[in-house]
Amino acid sequence: MRFVLTTSYAQDVDIFRHNGERFWYALLAVAVVAAPWVFGEFYVGELALVFIWAIAGIGLMILVGYTGLVSLGHAAFLAIGAYTHAALLKYGVPLPISLALATLFAAGIGALVGIPALRMTGVYLAVATLAFERIVAYVVEHWTPVTGGLRGMALTQPEWFGVSFVEPHVFYYVCLGILALGLLAARNLLRSPTGRAFVAVRDSEISAESMGVHLARTKATAFAVSAAFTGLAGALYAHKIGHLSPEAFTVQTSIQLLLLVVVGGLGSLHGVVFGAIFVGYLPQGLALARDWLPPAVGQVPGLELGVFGAILVLFLVFEPLGIYGRWLKVRAWFDEFPLYRKATFKRQKSYLRTERVH
Amino acid sequence: MTAAASTVEAAALLAAEGLSLSFGGVRAVRDVSFQIEAGEVFSIIGPNGAGKTTLFNLVSRFYDADAGRMAFAGEDMTTTPAHHVAELGIARTFQNTELFDRETVLDNLLIGRHVHRSTGLLSELVFLPRVRRQEIAFRDKVEQVIDLLDLARHRRQTVGNLPFGARKMVEIGRALCSEPRLLLLDEPSSGLNPEETEDLAFWIEDIVAELGVTVAMVEHDMNLVAAVSNRVLAMADGAVLATGAAADIQQHPDVLRAYLGE
Repeated sequence: MRFVLTTSYAQDVDIFRHNGERFWYALLAVAVVAAPWVFGEFYVGELALVFIWAIAGIGLMILVGYTGLVSLGHAAFLAIGAYTHAALLKYGVPLPISLALATLFAAGIGALVGIPALRMTGVYLAVATLAFERIVAYVVEHWTPVTGGLRGMALTQPEWFGVSFVEPHVFYYVCLGILALGLLAARNLLRSPTGRAFVAVRDSEISAESMGVHLARTKATAFAVSAAFTGLAGALYAHKIGHLSPEAFTVQTSIQLLLLVVVGGLGSLHGVVFGAIFVGYLPQGLALARDWLPPAVGQVPGLELGVFGAILVLFLVFEPLGIYGRWLKVRAWFDEFPLYRKATFKRQKSYLRTERVH
Repeated sequence: MTAAASTVEAAALLAAEGLSLSFGGVRAVRDVSFQIEAGEVFSIIGPNGAGKTTLFNLVSRFYDADAGRMAFAGEDMTTTPAHHVAELGIARTFQNTELFDRETVLDNLLIGRHVHRSTGLLSELVFLPRVRRQEIAFRDKVEQVIDLLDLARHRRQTVGNLPFGARKMVEIGRALCSEPRLLLLDEPSSGLNPEETEDLAFWIEDIVAELGVTVAMVEHDMNLVAAVSNRVLAMADGAVLATGAAADIQQHPDVLRAYLGE
């Protein structure tokens, strides 16, 4: 077990608390950079998809895990990012600028969605975001000149020096780089006043307000930041699928994203990565399982959605802290062996909360 | 006891005049006026349902008063938005504590520095050097409060796992981190054992003497009230019964009637 002796305030501000952490993260960095040389092209492409899931997951995690606002409509931000990016590329906007503009546009829409969120929480907000998702889907289906309607639109895949942007290795490193920067940016935000304001809003709106947190602005900011990450992921996803159509962004995608943050572990950026791996590989796992299961079960249409829902419920009941929470427990078990006590992670019953005044 | 008696002439830090608030047919606060002088400990007592906490919520601007005016340090704050009250220099605690349960004591105290931030979203996303400097300065200030309230042993613990007495002190600490001029304590001793309550009296005196913070508190424990208060306001049924020194208030016939009946 490691005891960290803190000798300066800067140590608390730093991302890594000690050299052991630095070592393991450096090792992880080497591993992901080297991965394309080890794995075949198919797996490199699959990993890039996991990275894209993770980028979108950062967005939803900031909203759900850190600000405590639920969204069932994040597929809409994915779609907004993807279609904006595709449309800009079609008009010859250079790729980096197009990515940035798609991100900013998603952020702007996110802020607009965040404004009514001031008065809504829980299930009301979930329904409102679901409605928003339907509106975006409607626009995508009917604004044919821009989105191609139900037939969809093909994406212009840019080339650099004769190498396509979606060549698996190039695309892998682009996604990896953006994910690394995204995680860094999210971490930075969360160790700054704005991130603390998010958490304050999540845990107690009334005391957040009494400490000077502007609720409306904080929630709108959370939505905007969240939408920006998800929109950016959407733009990358557009390259991954190559051809955009309304079916690519449905409620099922929103639920998968929610599954990602819950299964990964609400309120942790590690959880985003764990959740992305889980959600990224779940469809393959299910496809394999279909062959093993008796046809009466395996060939049921909509099996995937059912399994997603069941996993979501099981995690909420048995491991609300998600995979990351489970990982903390396993680590603690090894750290404290043979003295590990289950109660370490048991949260005491929270005390009676002041009656809400709002 | 502090030297507040000699500063009676000083202008009121918080002045309220004719505050009234009804919830439907219930007149929770009726025509309440009071003045809190800088540097004093001002206690509000009264039986349950007297409107004490409602009065605090009016000052925190969680409620809009139906009638009346409030001014803080000479500036009108009757319509100040709730999130701006901390910036004016008023911090508060809650009766049953309203902490950020899943965060450490340190993070809870850091949110107290929120009103002193000078960085924006974009600079925080890239963690510019000035964001880092600000964080370190925040940390330094928080450590002073940890020292003052003796919270060092809880520093890295999750607030949700702390005993109630410690949670109460963390909440006072969080309020102090915003460097308020006026600290509102809503039943600071509720849920504390006699020993902790005694300690609390010392902390309150320290806060007033060392930090120069004015304290207003809603409190039931008359021993604590008598020990630390310069002045006491007694309420019943939403109205002011009497204002004066603790000893006088305890003997006041209207107050006795409110507590004990005829």
